[in-house]
Amino acid sequence: MTQLQAGRPADVVNAAVTRVTEVADEVFTTLREVRTATAASVRSVRGRTPVAADLATLRPLLWSRLDPGRLGALIAGIGFIAAPGLLADAPWYLEWWQENPSGRPVQLLRDLDPSSSAFYDYTHWDWYTGPLAGAEHTICGPYVDYLCTDEYSLTLSVPVTVAGAFIGVAAADVFVRRFEAAVDPALREIPAPALLTNAEGRVVASNTARWITGSAYRGAPGFTAHPIADLPFALVAADG
Amino acid sequence: MESARLAVFAPVDSTARVEAVIRRLTDAIALGLLADGEQLPSEAELAGQLGVSTVTLREALMALRQQGMVETRRGRGGGSFVRLPSDLDLGSLLRGYAVEELRDLGDHYAAIAGAAARLAAQRALPSDLAPLLRSLDEMAGADWDGRLRRLDGRFHVEIAAASQSARLTQEEIRLQADIGPLLWLSRDEHHEMAKRNLFDQHRAIVEAIRAGEGDQARELAERHVLDAVDHLIELRLRLQE
Repeated sequence: MTQLQAGRPADVVNAAVTRVTEVADEVFTTLREVRTATAASVRSVRGRTPVAADLATLRPLLWSRLDPGRLGALIAGIGFIAAPGLLADAPWYLEWWQENPSGRPVQLLRDLDPSSSAFYDYTHWDWYTGPLAGAEHTICGPYVDYLCTDEYSLTLSVPVTVAGAFIGVAAADVFVRRFEAAVDPALREIPAPALLTNAEGRVVASNTARWITGSAYRGAPGFTAHPIADLPFALVAADG
Repeated sequence: MESARLAVFAPVDSTARVEAVIRRLTDAIALGLLADGEQLPSEAELAGQLGVSTVTLREALMALRQQGMVETRRGRGGGSFVRLPSDLDLGSLLRGYAVEELRDLGDHYAAIAGAAARLAAQRALPSDLAPLLRSLDEMAGADWDGRLRRLDGRFHVEIAAASQSARLTQEEIRLQADIGPLLWLSRDEHHEMAKRNLFDQHRAIVEAIRAGEGDQARELAERHVLDAVDHLIELRLRLQE
């Protein structure tokens, strides 16, 4: 059927899929660097259990990815979230830094004390459970991230392991509006209603007012979901 | 038009900010979030956390010192410390509010909670419902103490987040800071009925969201806030000045 239309709609759909993969890969490439650096930091501690201060060696790398001078930057926050019990001096710990438009990145200091906060336990969030279960590419959201950014965000994460043991996750926050801006031009090339959704059907970006960012796509006749390799995303487009 | 433009650049009312900081700290002390004898963070740090200038913070601390709720010691080991006055109770907190203020806070909170619940019913997917169900379960097993209050706060933030609106979620968090402690203190913890009512209302809101019934979810969420505020206003009206 698509061949009859000279393949053009299929081509632009494929081009949009490629664009989404490129945008996500940009973030995942950075996360693999954070993973390598974190594993090296933890491995270099010998004869004792690591402490939170050992993770300070990650800071130059994390800061460089939040440089306010970057063009078209996607990442708003980045860091390492320790598996509970990894560190001797902190049962719960995030080495987490956020961009700061007016200067140097700032560290996120969350109340991670179970006796005073109902929000300390991060182990139930998808960005933690995904990598823990072995997923190489986890994308959580779009969701209102009241824990870190206070914005409508995506959190991308990868597992960090040392000698085969899971020690936490390397993760980055991307505002949905930035991801949307990065993939929108490719979506607009598609001459039919098209939308990018997560695995559950939450709309990340679209070229149609029928499903806008943040709404739920629950399937519709005449639409096909094209899975995106290695990512928990799908590109949904009206059939040619 | 001209005066409307001028208003945009008018200084933010600093008395209101001092008042807001006083209330925030008073409520926190009354609720035991800040313990008797606990040292407060440094002025710069506290001002930063509350998002006010150090001048505003100092004015608020001065007022709290006069009310005997904060003690400042100089020299080594000095700083500002929380003091829990023995006569501090819901009544003395409530005296700081006119009925009109309570009504207006309630109107604002009900509007936010209602709008969030309606959008949550339209937009929630299973991953948005999961945290709500988890919070309901945890609350059912919690004693009537600080933990239940914290879970209650988290539950309402989770509903707001299910709306997919960052602004509504931020507003929910801000309103909880403004009126949450007062609403919580007004609940009668000795009454098993009060606890059951609270749980029943929470469960009904989640059911409406799960069923995608937006109007019903809004109605229930508004009622949930307004019932509590009505109770607070009744208590305020009964107070002798």
